[in-house]
Amino acid sequence: MSAKRVSAKRVSARRVSAPRDSTARFSLLAERWRGIGLSLVVVVATVWLGLTGQLGLYIHPRYFVFTVIMAVLGLAFVVASFFFSATPAGERTSPRRLALSVTGSAVLLVIAGVAVLALPPATLTSATATQREVNSGGLDTTDAAEQAATLVGTGDYERLSVKEWVSLLAQSDDPALFADKSARLTGFVLPDADDPDNVFYIARFVVTCCAVDAQPIGVPVYLPGWSNSYSTDEWVEVTGEFTPNPSGSAAASLAVEPTTIESVEQPSDPYVY
Amino acid sequence: MHGDRVSVRSVPTGLILGVVLVAVAFTVRALSPALDGWGLPDRAQDTVTLALSVIIESAPFVFLGILLSTVVQVWLPHGFLLRFLPRQPLLRRGAISLLGMFFPVCECGNVPLARGFMVGGFTVPESITFLLAAPILNPITIITTHQAFGFGDGILITRIVAGFLIANVIGWLYSRHPDPDSLLTPTFAASCARPESGGRGDDHDHAHDHGPGRRPSRIQTSVDLFAKETAVIMPALFVGSLVAALTQVFVPRSVLLALGSNPVWSVLAMMALAFIVAVCSNVDAFFVLSFGSTFMPGGIASFLTFGAMIDVKMLALMRTTFTTRTLVQITALVALMSAAAGLLLNYVG
Repeated sequence: MSAKRVSAKRVSARRVSAPRDSTARFSLLAERWRGIGLSLVVVVATVWLGLTGQLGLYIHPRYFVFTVIMAVLGLAFVVASFFFSATPAGERTSPRRLALSVTGSAVLLVIAGVAVLALPPATLTSATATQREVNSGGLDTTDAAEQAATLVGTGDYERLSVKEWVSLLAQSDDPALFADKSARLTGFVLPDADDPDNVFYIARFVVTCCAVDAQPIGVPVYLPGWSNSYSTDEWVEVTGEFTPNPSGSAAASLAVEPTTIESVEQPSDPYVY
Repeated sequence: MHGDRVSVRSVPTGLILGVVLVAVAFTVRALSPALDGWGLPDRAQDTVTLALSVIIESAPFVFLGILLSTVVQVWLPHGFLLRFLPRQPLLRRGAISLLGMFFPVCECGNVPLARGFMVGGFTVPESITFLLAAPILNPITIITTHQAFGFGDGILITRIVAGFLIANVIGWLYSRHPDPDSLLTPTFAASCARPESGGRGDDHDHAHDHGPGRRPSRIQTSVDLFAKETAVIMPALFVGSLVAALTQVFVPRSVLLALGSNPVWSVLAMMALAFIVAVCSNVDAFFVLSFGSTFMPGGIASFLTFGAMIDVKMLALMRTTFTTRTLVQITALVALMSAAAGLLLNYVG
């Protein structure tokens, strides 16, 4: 203890803004680096996602501008904080607490760095979709159905997207209404919960705020043994016509009987809003 | 040995180091997608994606909150805000619960702002009132809730009235507390007792802290505050987002949705959903709108009241400032009163 006092005195002698002992100084540095480091990771990732047009993988487009502006401001503060010296905290920490806090900060920084900066950006997968019942929410169906109805008026049914078909199906499942209308749909393959062998959904996620609130929506496709040719999470384009769902156990009363199914690349904006 | 890069003399070294680090981070980010095929299992991958989405969504609001808090602490004259508030405690908390009208930062940004208010002279109950009221009583939240629900079903009115009442009742309860400082974490209580602000007119303590050297400039104090606040808030944001993401991946949402049409269960289920979804208060109305057909209006009103004040991510953020015991009490109180508001709307409305 007394040895430390002495060395502390020597370190702080005549140094105007140095903390009183080296432990305090070190803990101050560790704390500062934790905040600045985590901010650095987040703002760099945000700016990069913004520049490469991938912010949509995480947040709703209405936040793009605000998010990028705040990230740039944050970046300015991060760089500026290298410019200034830290003001002393003036509190002593025990060596054990210090070791804990330094280790904790380091571990958090490394995890954050890997998760935010090194992992390739990705969309949500069917693992999340299966936790959230398909078509159980996420769409303001009346609004979307109105938009869909205007498109239906043009007679060009193939222009309707998954979202619009889902809202039409939510309004009515009268087979007569959907007969002789052919659909062309792009989405990822999501097995039906009740009849996974014969029915899969051509699905998308609807996002209101950010990916955490994503709700899966989808149009059922009836194709026994589909899993021999297509895999879950694969992006496909399906064309076909609606028929009463031949599957006995699936919940949806109408399904698309596919004429063609093609593998496609994941679209650059995989979510719908 | 002194780590000279943090001292004022070696300014250019520090700046160069900063720029280099930022450049390295950008390079790593730009090159890493080339190393595709990490082959993470879907659930792990989705956990990362969900946590990241919460972080990227919330971080700008956290930064905004810190910047506003810096303005209040460093750039406005000391006690500037306090001057305009009524002195009578009830009226004062009433006025404070409307401060969100001028600081529409969303709930995550409110935490650094409330911390700044406390350092700037708010009492603990007053900041709790602000923290609970501001996410609901702010222009963006009111406009989006109105866009989503109009005045129909009493959802908007219930949300506004319940938000105001809950914040003020809880503020009043804590104002009766014999030792409000004990509600705070020791670290934060210490930093309130010894303001770091460079604002005018609070010179005492400074000599003691900074020694006889020259006082740091306001810009330096602002940057310093940014570093200090991010050191506390960012780890909490990361942990809170991770918890929110894990809950999402491992708790099936469909369980909750099965409960929608019962007047009591719809309220409880929607509050549970609000707690785990942790969606921002200024857009949660759009989110819950899509459940409008499944759930009774009272359930939706409870979702909008409870979720704006309390959720997994908010608890992690608030833990930076309040003790666990305090948070348990606040959560229980908010939950009880939100449930009461929802039930009232379901049975009476």
